[in-house]
Amino acid sequence: MRRVLAMAIVRIAAIILPASHRDWSRAMVAELAAIERPGAALAFALGCLGAALKQAVSVFSPTRGRALGILCAIGAVGLGWAYLIAAGAPLSHLVLNGAALAIGLLAIGILRDAGRIWRAMGGGIMVALAGIILLTSLFGISASGVTRWLAVGGVMLQPALILVPVITLGFARAPGRASLLAVLITAAGVALQPDRAMAGALAAGMAALAFYRPGPAVLVALAAAIAAFAATLAQADASPAMPFVDQIFFSSFGVHPLAGLAVLAGAALLLLPAIAGARRDADNRPIHLLFFMVWFGVILAAALGNHPTPLVGYGGSAILGYLLSLLALPPYVEGRIAGQSRAPGEPESGAAGPDLRASLTLAG
Amino acid sequence: MTRTRSLSQQTRTILALMADAGSEWLHGYELCRRGNIKSGTLYPMLMRLEQQGYLVADWQAAAEPGRPPRHAYRLTAEGRALALANPPAEAAPALGAPSGTPA
Repeated sequence: MRRVLAMAIVRIAAIILPASHRDWSRAMVAELAAIERPGAALAFALGCLGAALKQAVSVFSPTRGRALGILCAIGAVGLGWAYLIAAGAPLSHLVLNGAALAIGLLAIGILRDAGRIWRAMGGGIMVALAGIILLTSLFGISASGVTRWLAVGGVMLQPALILVPVITLGFARAPGRASLLAVLITAAGVALQPDRAMAGALAAGMAALAFYRPGPAVLVALAAAIAAFAATLAQADASPAMPFVDQIFFSSFGVHPLAGLAVLAGAALLLLPAIAGARRDADNRPIHLLFFMVWFGVILAAALGNHPTPLVGYGGSAILGYLLSLLALPPYVEGRIAGQSRAPGEPESGAAGPDLRASLTLAG
Repeated sequence: MTRTRSLSQQTRTILALMADAGSEWLHGYELCRRGNIKSGTLYPMLMRLEQQGYLVADWQAAAEPGRPPRHAYRLTAEGRALALANPPAEAAPALGAPSGTPA
């Protein structure tokens, strides 16, 4: 019986392993057949299942920072489901959040190898994305005096919530004229909508960047972001709190203390990749702290005003925005060989020799 | 501002086992047993070592008739150099001596 179970487990592991690892999945199955003792075979099979799951996660992203972010996003959406179920939210809310998670993960899978395209056209792409935010403020759907939404296939999306983190991180990764223009357009867009939460997140992110890299372009971007945030504060924002979306940091505790804790824990998970990245990757600490500040800004806005609570509340835009922003997180560059450090202009990964690569990926 | 981080003890142990085996091919379960390492740790490690050119893998006919071919592994020259440069700490299991719980 244990041997049958072991074979079933190792075959599941073989299915989970990516197609590029087919030889390894066959190796696990063949190796199991050579193990005489059923108990040892079962333990071996369980280990193979763990290895397959680990590989499946790493295929979603070759970088540990991004993989951790994906796990945190899945965890936050899961905790959000727990709250939504406890609060009696319609099933459609759970389905939409799940669909957004699936689409976001799919997007990461598709875009994770698009680095070359991004390097060639990143500035132009960022300007186009920022243009969507500006167009939304001019021609989007309005409610209670604010204009923040677009209807896409019958679903209301909040483009700024999806794109501001991506644009902010994109500017930090590759500051230049085009990416600065994208930030300026974004600032104008969120100021016109007005959207205090995203203007605040943009300003918080730029402040973090300016602290570490106070160059002229960054200071211009910071000034624009602060001006946009001030403009949103000067305008009336009478948006009412939407059930299951806004103010749930407080209302969830009224549902059940555990639901409240789930919401808090889910929100905290969103910051974990940035904290881990800042601790473990000194070279890219400004980027990780910028990621932290942007999402902390979004969470803080949700706590203070009627703004969407990211990932744990109902709404697909924040889920998409969070997952897409993970694409802008750099790979960890921990574990360099003693005495070696990256020269200016040297790629962050991928160009290292065998010894350096070994220390990067085999450590731990 | 960069930190130094060496290979894990388990990676060093497996490298040492394989270096000690020389040109002999080793199997996954055998490495688990002799290195006292779980398969969930071993296989991702082997995959990375192979991907980075430190070991080669080959399908070899099973010793017992009727059994499927098994995946076998041995170090490349770069892998042997890596093993020499990163020996296991003193607490590592004795090379060649099966010990501990398999898998």
